[in-house]
Amino acid sequence: MHAMLAAGGPVIPSFGKSSSCVQDNGAFCFDWIRDNWDSTFQPALISHLKLTVIAVGIGFVLALGLALLAHQRRWLITPLTLVFATVFTIPSLALFQVLVPISGLTVLTAEIALVGYTLSILFANIITGLREVPAEVRDAARGMGLSDRQILFRVELPIALPAVMAGLRIATVTVISLATIATVITVQSLGGPIFEGIQNDFKTKYVAAGLLTVVLALVADGLLVITQRRLTPWARARRA
Amino acid sequence: MGARAEGMTLPVGDISAPFTFLWDQWDSQVRDNVLQQFGYWGAAMAIASVIGLPVGVWLGHLHRGSFVAINTSNIGRALPTLGVLAVGIGVFGLTFLNIVFAFAVLAIPPILTNAYVGVDSVDPDAVEAAKGMGMRPREVLVRVELPLALPLIFAGLRTSALFVMATIPIAAIVGGKGLGEIINNQASFRLSGVIGAGILVIVLALGVNALLGVVQRLVTPRGLRLSGADARGDAPAATTVLPTTATPEQ
Amino acid sequence: MIHRTSKLGTVLVACLALALTLAACGSSKKSSSSSSSSSASGSPSVPSGQPGKGKPAVTLGDKNFPEQFILGQLYAQALQAKGFTVNVKKNIGSSEITDKALTSGKIDLYPEYTGVIVQELAHENGQPKSADETYTRASAYEAKRGFKTLNKTPFFDADGLAVQPAYAKKFGLKTAGDLTKVGAFTYGAPPENKTRFQGVVGMKKVYGLKKLKFVPLTIGLQYKALASNNIDVAAVFTTDGELKGGKYTVLTDPKGIFGFQNVTPVVSKKVLAQEGPAFEQTLNAVSAKLTNEAVQTMNAAVVLNKQDPAVVAKAFLSANGLLK
Repeated sequence: MHAMLAAGGPVIPSFGKSSSCVQDNGAFCFDWIRDNWDSTFQPALISHLKLTVIAVGIGFVLALGLALLAHQRRWLITPLTLVFATVFTIPSLALFQVLVPISGLTVLTAEIALVGYTLSILFANIITGLREVPAEVRDAARGMGLSDRQILFRVELPIALPAVMAGLRIATVTVISLATIATVITVQSLGGPIFEGIQNDFKTKYVAAGLLTVVLALVADGLLVITQRRLTPWARARRA
Repeated sequence: MGARAEGMTLPVGDISAPFTFLWDQWDSQVRDNVLQQFGYWGAAMAIASVIGLPVGVWLGHLHRGSFVAINTSNIGRALPTLGVLAVGIGVFGLTFLNIVFAFAVLAIPPILTNAYVGVDSVDPDAVEAAKGMGMRPREVLVRVELPLALPLIFAGLRTSALFVMATIPIAAIVGGKGLGEIINNQASFRLSGVIGAGILVIVLALGVNALLGVVQRLVTPRGLRLSGADARGDAPAATTVLPTTATPEQ
Repeated sequence: MIHRTSKLGTVLVACLALALTLAACGSSKKSSSSSSSSSASGSPSVPSGQPGKGKPAVTLGDKNFPEQFILGQLYAQALQAKGFTVNVKKNIGSSEITDKALTSGKIDLYPEYTGVIVQELAHENGQPKSADETYTRASAYEAKRGFKTLNKTPFFDADGLAVQPAYAKKFGLKTAGDLTKVGAFTYGAPPENKTRFQGVVGMKKVYGLKKLKFVPLTIGLQYKALASNNIDVAAVFTTDGELKGGKYTVLTDPKGIFGFQNVTPVVSKKVLAQEGPAFEQTLNAVSAKLTNEAVQTMNAAVVLNKQDPAVVAKAFLSANGLLK
C-alpha cells in the first residue's frame, strides 16, 4: 500500500482504484455487484425481507380480526372501509416522516406505516371475500345444523380464501414496494442503495438495487400464487 | 432513555399549519406542483388506458388468453415503483416520459385485469340472448358485454387513478417534479409543509376516484343503473377505491 | 372440510409465529465487536484499553451526503474500537432535520459545520470573521441548548458555486458577485438552500443576484445537471471529490456568505457525562487527523471511485493508528 505522508499530518492510505466499468459509470458493472454483494446488497435485502414479513404478518392478523368483527357487526363495515381507503391514499413519503416525532427514526415507525397500508388492503379483500359467500350456501349450512362459528370456519372462510389470498398478494408486493421508501427515516432496506446510488450518481448501485427489489417482489408474488393454488384446489377445478 | 419524553410531541404544533402552508405557498410552489402532478397522472392514465382497455376487453370478449393477460398484469402490479424508477432513470436518463412510463406500468394491471374479468364474466345467458336476437359478435360486444362490464371496468380505472395519484410523490426522490418536491423537502418546508402537501395528495387521489365515479354513473345506461349492476360482485363504491382485483380464477 | 380448515389454520398459525419471531429478532440490539488495544502516538491520542466497555450505547447520526457518511463512519469505528457501542443512523437529512433529531433525543451526536450552526441553526446576525470566531459562537449556542461542541477539525468544507469553465470564460466570472453580469441564470442546489442565508437568501441579499432561478436538486445530482447544461450554476462543497482535477470552476466568495465551516461533533452533555472522558478523547483524536487533503482524498475515493464509506474510513483509521 503506497501511503502519502503530509508533514506532521495524517497518513493518507491509497484507497485503490475501481474498475473501468465503474469509472465510466456504467449501469451494469457485474464485478462491482459481486464484490459488494456482502457489504451492500445482502444486509439491505435481509432487512427488507424482515420489514415485509413483519408488516404483512401483523397486518394480516389485524385485518382478519377486524374483518371478522365487522362481519358480525355490519354497521362497522362502511366507516372502517372509508378509514382504510383514506389511509391507503396517504403518500408513504409523508406518512413515514409524520410518524418520526411520535416513534423516532426506528423500525417501529416504519412498521406502523407499513402495517397501516397492509391493513387497508387486506381488510377490504377479506370483507369482500366473506360477503361474496352466497346466501344459499350459508342457509344450507345452517340447515345442516352448523353453528355460526362453525359456519364461519368451515364454510365462509374457505370460500373467502381466494379473495384473502389475492389480498395477501397485493399487500405483500405493495409492502415490498413501500419498504424502499423507509430509507428516508434511516431504516435499512433495499431503498438504501437506491437512494445512495442516485445521490452519488452511481448507476450500477441503484440499478442493481432496483432490479433486486423487482425480483424480490416477483418471487414473493410467485410463491404466494403457488400457495394459493395449493390451498384452493377447488378453484381451479371450478374453472374447468 | 430520558430524552424520550422530549420527542413525544404532536407532529403538528398547530393543526392549521398545513393549511396555512398550502394557502401561503400556493402561488410560489404548490400550484406548479399540482399541475406537474396532473401532468404525470394524465399521461400515465392515458397510456395505461389506451393499452389496458382494448387488450383487456378484447381478450375478455374472446374468453381467451387469460393466463397471459392476467399474469403479465400481475407482474406489472408487483413491480416496486421506486425500483422501476431507479432502473429507468439509470438506463434511459431523467425525462418526463421515463417517469410517466414507470407510472403507466403501475396503472395498467388493474385496468387490464378488470376489463378482462368484466367482459369475460358477463352473464352467458345475456350473450346467448343477444346472439339469438341476431346480433353479430361486434354488436354483442358493444351493446351487451361492454355495458354490463362497465362496473368492473370502472373499478379498475378508479383503482389505477387513485393509486397512481398517491404514488407520484415518489418520483421526486429520483429528481422528478410534482407534490413530491414538497414532501421530499422537509428541510425547507417543515413538517407542516409535508403534511399539507400530503393532505393535498390525498384530496387529489380521492378526488379523481370520485370524479371517475361520476363519469361511471353518466356512462352507465339507465337500465343497468336502476337494476343495480353494482350487485354483480362489485362491492359498494367505497371499496372499489382499494385494489381488490376482481379475483380471476388463476 | 375439516382437512381444508386445518390446513388454513396451520398456515395462519405459521404466519403469525413467523411474524412474531422476526419481530423479536428485529428488536434485539447488535453488540459491537471488541479488539485489543494499545496506546497510539501523537496528540491528542486515543485512550488506551477498552474504556467504552459497559457504557450505555450511543446513537450517532450523519447528514445526507458522502462526506458526512465518511465522517460518521470515522467517528463510529474509532469509538467502537475502544469498546463503545455505537448505532449509526446514516443519511438522516439536511442540517435542519438532523439537528431536530438531535434535540428531540433521537440521536446523541452528529458532525456539524461551525458556520452552519451559527448561520442556519442559530440564525445569528453579523457574520463571524474567522474560523475561531465561528467556532466560539457555535459552541456558545450549542452550550445553551445542552450540547457540547468537541474540538474542531483542521479541514473546512464550505458551500461553493461551480460553473463550467467555458461559462466562466464567456462571462468573465471569478467571484460570486460577477454573476450579475450574466443576467438570469439557474442555480441548482439542495432544497434547503432556498431558505438559507448560505444559499439563495445570502446570494440575493449580499451579492444582489436577483435574477437567480432556483432549481432544487438532491445532493449529488448537481454535477450531472451542470455537466449536461441543465443548470448554469451548481451548489457544491469545497471538499467535493468531483472538484479534483479542475473540471469545474469554483467562484470565490469574497464577501464570505458561505462562512467558515470546520467540522465539530455536537454531543449531548448528558451523554458525554455518561460515557466518560475517553469518549471525548477518542473523537478529538480522530478530528485532529482530518486535514483538507485527507478529507478530499477520502471524498474522491467514495464519490469518484465508488468505494464504500465504511471501507474508506476503516483504511484511514487503520493507517493512522486509530483502530488499536
